[in-house]
Amino acid sequence: MRTVSAAETAPTLHPWAIHTEDLRVRAGRHLAVNGLDLTLGTGVHGLLGPNGAGKTTLMRALATVLKPAGGRLRLLGEPVDGRADLRQVRRRLGYLPQQFGFYPRFTLREFVEYMAWLKEMPKTAIPGATQRAIERVGLEAKAGARMKTLSGGMLRRAGIAQAIVNDPAVLLLDEPTVGLDPEQRLDFRELLRDVGVDSCVLVSTHLVEDVVAACTDVVLVNEGRLVHQGTPDDLIAQGGPGDPGDSPAERGYSALLRRDRAVSAR
Amino acid sequence: MSDPGHSRDRTEGDETDVLLGVRRILDEAELVRRTAAGDRRAFDELYRRTSPWLLARLRRRCADDDVVADVMQETYLAVWRAAGSFAGQATSGSAAGWLWTIAAHRLVDAFRRRARQAQLPAVPLAETVAPAAEDEVLAGWVGHELEQALLELPPEAREVLRAMVLDGFSVRETSVLLGVPENTVKSRARRARIALREALS
Amino acid sequence: MTHPSLAVIARYADREAALDEVTAWSVEVHLESCADCRSLMAGYATDDTRALLDRIAVGVDRGIATGPAPAPRRRWAPARHRWLVWHLVPWLTMTVAVLACAALLQAVQPAFPSLVALLAPVAPLPGVAVAWSRRHDPAWELIAGTPRSGLAMLLRRTAAVLSVVVPALALASSHTGVSLAVTLLPCLAFTAATIAVGAYAGVRRAAVVLGAAWTLAVILPTVVTADMPVVLQPGSSLGWVLLTLALCGFAAIQAPTFRRLSSRN
Repeated sequence: MRTVSAAETAPTLHPWAIHTEDLRVRAGRHLAVNGLDLTLGTGVHGLLGPNGAGKTTLMRALATVLKPAGGRLRLLGEPVDGRADLRQVRRRLGYLPQQFGFYPRFTLREFVEYMAWLKEMPKTAIPGATQRAIERVGLEAKAGARMKTLSGGMLRRAGIAQAIVNDPAVLLLDEPTVGLDPEQRLDFRELLRDVGVDSCVLVSTHLVEDVVAACTDVVLVNEGRLVHQGTPDDLIAQGGPGDPGDSPAERGYSALLRRDRAVSAR
Repeated sequence: MSDPGHSRDRTEGDETDVLLGVRRILDEAELVRRTAAGDRRAFDELYRRTSPWLLARLRRRCADDDVVADVMQETYLAVWRAAGSFAGQATSGSAAGWLWTIAAHRLVDAFRRRARQAQLPAVPLAETVAPAAEDEVLAGWVGHELEQALLELPPEAREVLRAMVLDGFSVRETSVLLGVPENTVKSRARRARIALREALS
Repeated sequence: MTHPSLAVIARYADREAALDEVTAWSVEVHLESCADCRSLMAGYATDDTRALLDRIAVGVDRGIATGPAPAPRRRWAPARHRWLVWHLVPWLTMTVAVLACAALLQAVQPAFPSLVALLAPVAPLPGVAVAWSRRHDPAWELIAGTPRSGLAMLLRRTAAVLSVVVPALALASSHTGVSLAVTLLPCLAFTAATIAVGAYAGVRRAAVVLGAAWTLAVILPTVVTADMPVVLQPGSSLGWVLLTLALCGFAAIQAPTFRRLSSRN
């Protein structure tokens, strides 16, 4: 039994979970994200782009780890730039960085519980949520093992577990499939689709097949700008037999990049 | 595992501890603590005591027995594996609160899987059955005016209220469970609150 | 507590039985808090319920047999992890060692102005700098995006640092005969200053700047002239107290800035 507040039942005025307008974010001195307009709603979205396109910087800005240098950024209807109070939004976020460190002496369960505590989950809910997250990524056999004994793929999955432990409305995953074997990657795609039923998932990856298989929506960025946003079929339609690539999706990807580079060269 | 319907023979380490001639009945919190130590008998006893209730409650939320069986199985396995963490929470001696929370979340996960596979979840709509005169209605939470107001609500609003207030689901989880968009859940909840407030004033 | 009648419980246990919604709700609310009535339900299981429960029991048995045993609970682990961070340990060890050396040198050269008092303000700075630094905290990237990351967390870690440095300072001062007020108050003031300045410049940079400033402005002249500086005379304690309070207030006002310190750390 619990009380339901008026705020919880207030109507949602925004149909999207992530909304950026002319977003600019610096990575060091370089403006990695340079005028990005993006709107994402519920579902699984894939973020593609060449190295240096600003994908990681964009993910960090969306995760509220980096402060944008300019433009507007709204998450779940709340403005996130400036001096906004970030606590409310962060409670509903999940983020897996590309390279994340951890405290090696923690066990896997302690690590996920610590992250759940950091996300200000109610104390009574933490053990149940931790167990659920660990089972969803398939690591229940290793729940008591210390983090330093886990292999690369297991560490990645542990990272995914901490990202989903608070059942986030916005889930940001930066290169989540690094180190996963093909079977684990299939399980991961199922997990993504489950989570995407009622939340907004953004997966940044190099692997075009992952995007086509699991995502309902593909976002292609280059040099900090949005190049293309559409379904995987749209992406495939952009490519022709003359474009480099081993699969139709890769051909579409190279075609779009080639056209974008031609445009910006002018 | 023991048949939940039959009583068990008294053996060592059974539910009642005969200690110096004094009987000590173990409450659910103690059973969880013992499960955390690896005591299989305590876990079996916990299952025996709580599974009929949990099953009945889940079956009233989902018409598909296979899904309910999976949810129950996952719930009790989670309790077995993570008993150590749950043992720390059992402050009131009752395991029901967090046991239901685990089962509720697994139920939502099962519905998400169903939605993903594009199979519609089977949730029975609330039946509008008026209470017979001889039925006992507890005075604790449901007073007469509240009961009347609840009956006057449309069944969809009652469903939303049950999911959010009684079962503790969030708006997003309720939308997955009932298969309706979030804004619909919210508007039904708002209407229910207004109607109830009117009835109580 | 009034319990529902056995007839009502029997009807609740049977999905096919007619039970109006309102009664069902009351029963569910009651069952959530009454273990006795919950155990009663076992007696009202219909055949198909019993079969279902048996089926579930078999599945759970299988899961238990194939999976790991329940892990023992490390009772103090969560609390310990929230306060003590392992990557601080080498730096704190270094700090304590330096203070020990200072105390020893003091014992050897009693006429020289107290080294312990000179080092006291900068003693906590390495610990505080490392406690909130992207370079040294392995889990920084994960912590930075969480709701709890902010001034409260920094203060927790600073408390852990001070819990080591303050006793070490107290021990060193009592052994070398320096008054506690002369060593502890500047130490606290500089900690507060690092946090306050760190709101703007980043905690690590603030620690480096403050440490360098103190060394150049106070330690070097003292070493050269062998005279105890004015700021460390016993009469200056009130000044240090006021400074500490002012800096704490300032840091408290700047609390929201700490939520996104990552870009500057």
